[in-house]
Parts: sequence; structure tokens; C-alpha cells
Amino acid sequence: MDSTEESSPKSELSNTIMDMDLHNTFAELMFHLLPSPYESQEINHLTLAYFVISSLDILNSLNRVEKDAIVDWVLSFQLHPGTKTDPNNGQFYGFHGSRTSQFPPDDNGVLLHNHSYLASTYCALAILKIVGYDLSNVDSELMLASMRNLQQPDGSFMAIHIGGETDLRFVYCAAAICFMLDNWSGMDKEKAKDYILNCQSYDGGFGLVPGAESHGGATYCAIASLRLMGFIEDNLLSSCASSLIDVPLLLDWIVQGMDGGFQGRTNKTTDTCYAFWLGAVLKILGADDFVDIKALRRFLLTCQYKYGGFSKFPGEFPDLYHSYYGFAAFSLLKESGLKSLCSELGITETAAKGL
Amino acid sequence: MASGSSEVEEEEQERMMLRDRPEWADVTPVPQDDGPCPVVPINYTEEFAEVMDYFRAVYLADERSPRALSLTAEAIHFNAGNYTVWHFRRLLLESLKVDLHDELEFIERIAAKNSKNYQIWHHRRRVAEKLGPDARNAELQFTKKVLSVDAKHYHAWSHRQWVLQALGGWEDELDYCSQLLEQDIFNNSAWNQRYFVITRSPFLGGLKAMRESEVLYTIKAIEAYPENESSWKYLRGLYKGETTSWVNEPQVSSICLKILSSKSNYLFALSTLLDLICHGYQPNQDFRDAIEALKIPDLDTQDLDIASMICSILEKIDPIRVNYWIWRKSRLPQVA
Repeated sequence: MDSTEESSPKSELSNTIMDMDLHNTFAELMFHLLPSPYESQEINHLTLAYFVISSLDILNSLNRVEKDAIVDWVLSFQLHPGTKTDPNNGQFYGFHGSRTSQFPPDDNGVLLHNHSYLASTYCALAILKIVGYDLSNVDSELMLASMRNLQQPDGSFMAIHIGGETDLRFVYCAAAICFMLDNWSGMDKEKAKDYILNCQSYDGGFGLVPGAESHGGATYCAIASLRLMGFIEDNLLSSCASSLIDVPLLLDWIVQGMDGGFQGRTNKTTDTCYAFWLGAVLKILGADDFVDIKALRRFLLTCQYKYGGFSKFPGEFPDLYHSYYGFAAFSLLKESGLKSLCSELGITETAAKGL
Repeated sequence: MASGSSEVEEEEQERMMLRDRPEWADVTPVPQDDGPCPVVPINYTEEFAEVMDYFRAVYLADERSPRALSLTAEAIHFNAGNYTVWHFRRLLLESLKVDLHDELEFIERIAAKNSKNYQIWHHRRRVAEKLGPDARNAELQFTKKVLSVDAKHYHAWSHRQWVLQALGGWEDELDYCSQLLEQDIFNNSAWNQRYFVITRSPFLGGLKAMRESEVLYTIKAIEAYPENESSWKYLRGLYKGETTSWVNEPQVSSICLKILSSKSNYLFALSTLLDLICHGYQPNQDFRDAIEALKIPDLDTQDLDIASMICSILEKIDPIRVNYWIWRKSRLPQVA
């Protein structure tokens, strides 16, 4: 690691404490304007917004932003079909992720371009919950009915009806959407469960698709989905007897990946975000006691940037994604001043409960 | 025709704004409608905003032309994840009857700067699908190239697995895994691919048929680098669904004993032995002797059964996982 001052933003002071003021400033700055480099991720604008808004919520700073404006803005991404839309036309009627993928209906009110996206739909609903919007006000009937169009015969979900990747990330999005709307008509849970189980690798972790290498993010999607769908009971650790997944093997895989932070895959470098992905899995399984809190804190703080935010690896510049998962990881560590998380939904507990 | 390559090259020299290009003079760009109160706004650069304004124009007009195709390449350059642009590009490739081999080259060029982008790989798959079995070698070559730079590239491995299943090419895959493992025995992606091949290749007969040779291979790998988590996990994986066979396989317990006796890098040997015992293995005195010969300080092992002893040792020598080993000890099967 290069340690000269000019070429690396090494934090000199903030190696021992999580600097709430700096992180609040960082999150607020991002809320007011995302710097130009983020335009390369513009298609995921709603996701970027979710990272910022959920960060503010975790940092207990949501009072600094205009909730009504957020609601209006998020709802403006929802796809509203024409009057004669058939939910079985194969399309998905969810939320767009950005203005570049959103096109108005033509002069006759016919919607020619539907690029609503599963991940954006999850982020939209998550943001609405975070700011306290009552989701029963969301027009969700067609959304859920049409979401089934995205589910594949093997149980996986496609991201978008015009064709896209199908992997565990979108199974998670679908499960979280159904959970938040409290309505499981949007998916076949049994098929989704089967797909998830097919993703468990020989070493206990889960890959993004069947046959793929065990991966921290994929493992989160798998376990969080199973939990949301009701297939994982409370306190699995005491019984350790899930009929569905090999829990001991999974636990061993996760725990062996602890190296200060968490590795995302066996024999790979530790990265900030896995402190959330895998830390959350341990919490869901009732095994968060296994985490070496001191070592994890120490690692995370080496990724803390001197002007706020977190980076992927120590000594690098921060980005929104790793900052969000850094805050989320500290929340899991019960850092004082941070709100607690609903691990399986990826939002705070107060947001999840609708308080 | 070159699908947008000249546009990409222009980029690298000095990019001319679209409004200054005569070939675009007849098009009115469509500005982005950010709505009344945009939240979390992005500080778009002028270039980005302009490309997307022109893209919107051709997309809404459904203009299927070579210049539209070039434009999608430019838009992709600014945001390689934009699936709307990729979708339109696929429509254009079809309408313009572009030679898809050229498209594979295009993808390879942009993948160089954006290799961790899902849409690029998805597009690659769609193109390869259209080309069918003929694309097989190109795809295996392409993924090999990416893996030669980053042997753990998740997208490349994913794509490679898809290629094998959809287009074939299994014959040399096990050898390829062996090559990669020779370069880096710690490459877990290569171990995973090995598992993929032995379980799914239509030429190899499946896991059971391959088990014997794979056990030999893995034991050698363990002997060379006993600290390599991947090889231990793979060994266990070879007995997936047949734990009793794993427990009863003499080579498994004996490699544990061998590594323990070497008194070096024995952490996984210990934890594997623990797992074996938890599944019914009954170690003989040799194991106890080998463990005691480790001479772990501050450990009173007199009255402990061997499994508890192992847990106590692991608590000491693997402190980052101390709570896990304490929990493992609490879950040990009752010893008479």
C-alpha cells in the first residue's frame, strides 16, 4: 500500500473512533449533490439515493432532509400503465431507476417504453419506508401481479422484462418487495426457495447462480430472502437444524472468512462492504456473537476517510456504496449514536416497522 | 461495419460535442425531465447530459441507423450500466444486420475499462447466444484472456460457466483448472470451477466417478500448502451428500494426522478433525499423541476428550474466531 501523502488519502486522526460529524457531513453533501463521477452510475440513480437516504437514517440525521420532496420524487419514478393494461402481457410495472430509462407515454397515452427495474423497485419502496410513507398508498396491485412475469421457471428472477441477468440479487429484491408490501402474490416462494438452495456451494456459502463460487453478497441475498419468505426460523443457531440449508457448513464458511474485516470469497482480500453482507447473515442466523468486534472495528476504521465516508480498502478514496455499508456495519456493531438495522431488509428497524 | 469503434477512438483524442458535428445537425436533442423537485441530484457534466439528450431523441424516434448505433457506443462509454441503451443497441444490431463477430470485438474493447459491469457481460451473452455453438471458442478465449489478468474475475467465471453449459467445450476445462492452480494453488475460483467441471461435465461421469482421482489431487495440494482453506473445503465437497463416506475415508483422517504431526500450519487439520469427530469419527491414540506433541502452552488437556481438547486449542491459536470455537465446544456430542 502506497503511504506517501500526495498519492493516498491516509487518515491521520480518525483511526480510533467512528467520526459521526464527518460522516453526517459526507452524507448530507451527497444528498444535496452527487459529484460528477457518479454520472457513470446514473442508471441506478434510485439506488444511489437509497444509499444516501438510508445512510442519513442510520446516522440518525433524517430530520435534516425534506421527506415530502423525497416521497414525490420517488413516486415520480413509478410506472403507471395505460387504462387497458393486461397484467399478463409479460411486462413488469414497477419503478424506473433513473430518468434516462424513463420515457413518457406517447400522445395517445400508450406506453411504448417500459424499463421499470426490479432493483429500483426495491430501492423505491425502501426509501419510502425510510421516510415514513405508508406503503398501502402505493398502487401495488399491478406491480405485484406483473412481477411474476419476471420469475423464471427455475425460480430465479430477471431484473427487467426486456431481458437481463437472472441471479440471487433479484430473488432478494422480489422477496423484499413482497415483504414490504406484505403481499406474496408477486412471487412463487417455493420456486424461489428451490433456486436459492441450488445456489449453495460445496463449501457452505452461496454463489450468485447455481455453480458459482461462494460469495458474501450472494450469501446475504440467499439468507435474507429465505428469512423474509419465512423459511428461516428465529434463533437458528440453537437448533442448528435447518432442513433446507447446511447451516454448520455455512457458518464455518463465513467464520473462516473473518480476517479483521470479512473476506467476500475464500482467499480474497477483506473489503468493507462484506462487514455488512456477512455480518448481517450472522445476525439473521443468531450468530453475531461470533464476530470479533474489536478486530472488525479496527479494520473498518482503517477504511474511514478523514473527510467522512468509507472506502473499499484501507487508504483509498471513499465511495457511496462502501460508505453506506460501512455505516450499516457499524450499526450491526451497535455503535452508539447509530440506529439499529433490520438486517434482512437493509433499512433501519424503525423504517421497517413503519414507526 | 465497425460498430462504433471510430467513435470510441475519437473519444480518446479529443471528443467533439454532438451539437458541433454536422451529421447530427438535423436532430433536436431531448433534455432530461428531472421533475419539479429533484432529490439527490447528480452533477452531470455537459458531455454526459448532451449524449443522453441525443440518445433520447433517437430512441423516441426509434431511429435504426448507423449513427444511432455509434451513439449507443458513446452513451455506453459514459454509463456502461445503462440497460436502456444496451437494449436499443441490440435492436439496432438486429435491424442493421451487423456482423456479430464485430460486436464481440467491440465488447472486448469496452470490457477492458469496465470489466466489472453486469450489462456488458449480459450483452456478451446475448450476442454469443445469437452466434450459437460457433461462438464457443471465442467465448472460452475471451474469458481466458480476462482471467489471465484477474484469475478470480467473478463475471468472467460466470460467463465461462454459462458458455460450457450452453455451447460446450468441457474437454479441456479440467486441465485449465489445473493450470490455474499450478499458478496459484490458493485461487478459490479455480477450485470452484474444478468442482463445477467434475460434477457437470458430460464427459467425466459425475462426482462419484471422479472422486478417487480428485481426492488424490487434493491431498497433494493440501500436503504442499496445508494453510490453504480452498483445498480442505474442496476435499470435504468431494463427499457432498455422503458425509459418512467422508468420515470413513482413511485418506481424509490420515492427511489430518500427517499435517498435525508436521507441527506446521495445522489449523485446518485440527478443524477438519473436529468436524470428522462431530460426524462420528473415532480417532485413535495416534491423534491424541500428535495433538499433545504440539505442546500448546497453558493448556490443561489431561481430562479432556479429544474434541474438547481441539476446541480449547483452537480458542487459543485462532483467537479471532474464539467465540465460534467456544460455541463449537458447547455443541460437541456428549462423550461417555
